[in-house]
Amino acid sequence: MAGDAGSIPELDQKKYDSDEQVKIICLGDSAVGKSKLMERFLMDEYRPQQLSTYALTLYKHTAAVGNKTVAIDFWDTAGQERFQSMHPSYYHKAHACIMVFDVQRKITYKNLANWYKELREYRPEIPCCVVANKIDADLKVTQRSFNFGKKQGIPFYFVSAADGTNVVKMFREMITRAVDYKQNPSDFMDEVLQELENFDLEKKEEDSEADEVGLKAEGPESE
Amino acid sequence: MSFEAKRCGVQFSPPSIVLIYQHKETKHMRKRIIPVRNFSKYSDYSMAAESLKNHPRHRDYLEGVSQSQLEKLHIILRDHMQGFSLEHSLASFRLDPDEDLNQLDDDKLARKKGQMDELFEKNRKHKDDPDFVYDLEMDFTKTTQERCSWDEESDDGF
Ligand SMILES: Nc1nc2c(ncn2[C@@H]2O[C@H](COP(=O)(O)OP(=O)(O)OP(=O)(O)O)[C@@H](O)[C@H]2O)c(=O)[nH]1
Ligand SMILES: [Mg+2]
Repeated sequence: MAGDAGSIPELDQKKYDSDEQVKIICLGDSAVGKSKLMERFLMDEYRPQQLSTYALTLYKHTAAVGNKTVAIDFWDTAGQERFQSMHPSYYHKAHACIMVFDVQRKITYKNLANWYKELREYRPEIPCCVVANKIDADLKVTQRSFNFGKKQGIPFYFVSAADGTNVVKMFREMITRAVDYKQNPSDFMDEVLQELENFDLEKKEEDSEADEVGLKAEGPESE
Repeated sequence: MSFEAKRCGVQFSPPSIVLIYQHKETKHMRKRIIPVRNFSKYSDYSMAAESLKNHPRHRDYLEGVSQSQLEKLHIILRDHMQGFSLEHSLASFRLDPDEDLNQLDDDKLARKKGQMDELFEKNRKHKDDPDFVYDLEMDFTKTTQERCSWDEESDDGF
């Protein structure tokens, strides 16, 4: 699984190793409102970068966290199944994950289990949350408790990209958690893979292989 | 604005958008037939809808008609040009809450999103609305929590 990671030639994912660069990804089924949530939070701050071959949209944002300014890249992809092969590079080096479902469609809630499973294969420990979107469609849903988040021990938010309820709160809290995680990574796997990676790179140097090969050797868990 | 859009639809030949609107002052109901020109079965319906919405001669009448509504009407016209029936077009918009939208291609997905857009636009708060709050927060933890039926039938490890 390491082979594919970081292999979007247009994008240099090495920058996410630096302290001021944070990567937050968004997951969920088609049409749950992932892109609308991003747009609501960023309010056309910048024009996002589109990579249509991968159905990938990158939104850039800067935020003050504590006494530091951090640059955040939000990664947004399509829920459509045909883009699944892109996922390894999507998870690569991510520092937090926002999982979204549509309160009007049960199937999108049920599918969270699959998204979460895939996420944890690549990023076992990064902060994650569950977002119930479109509550404006029927406010009564907020009286119900959705247990998926509780069961996995991750925060849950009722939001609406349409009227804006709790969107900014959710994003701000996730940015803080992503930065915290970056400062104190708890991924044991991360460290192990980092060692492996270094080992790999040293070997590569001996063989004096091209740079490109070294890049491809990066594991999905490297920090 | 002195016109209020009431209903809209399509006419297949010649391809046109039909708008029923009311004159706000006189209260008279009127019908306006807007011919859709330079639109073929290969055209981009979203661009066509946008240029119609901004058309200097029609835009005042179409102010109350959303972009997604105009897109839908163009999709119906294009489907017809491609030989599909009206039923086919209408069925493609219908939302089935149990349908797995991850399997759809771009065109089919766009139709579903177009349908969802109606409610989205209706409930949407805009930046320049007087009561717009950027970081609007609501606490739902205190409202009574009944168990969600979506969590039952836990055949999949929920
Ligand atoms: N009522 C309501 N509708 C919403 C809300 N958020 C999104 N929608 C509707 O849902 C549709 C899909 O939203 P997108 O943001 O495109 O969904 P997505 O998750 O990015 O979908 P993919 O990129 O295709 O995976 C939009 O066209 C809106 O009509 C919301 O908060 N309330
Ligand atoms: Mg999207």
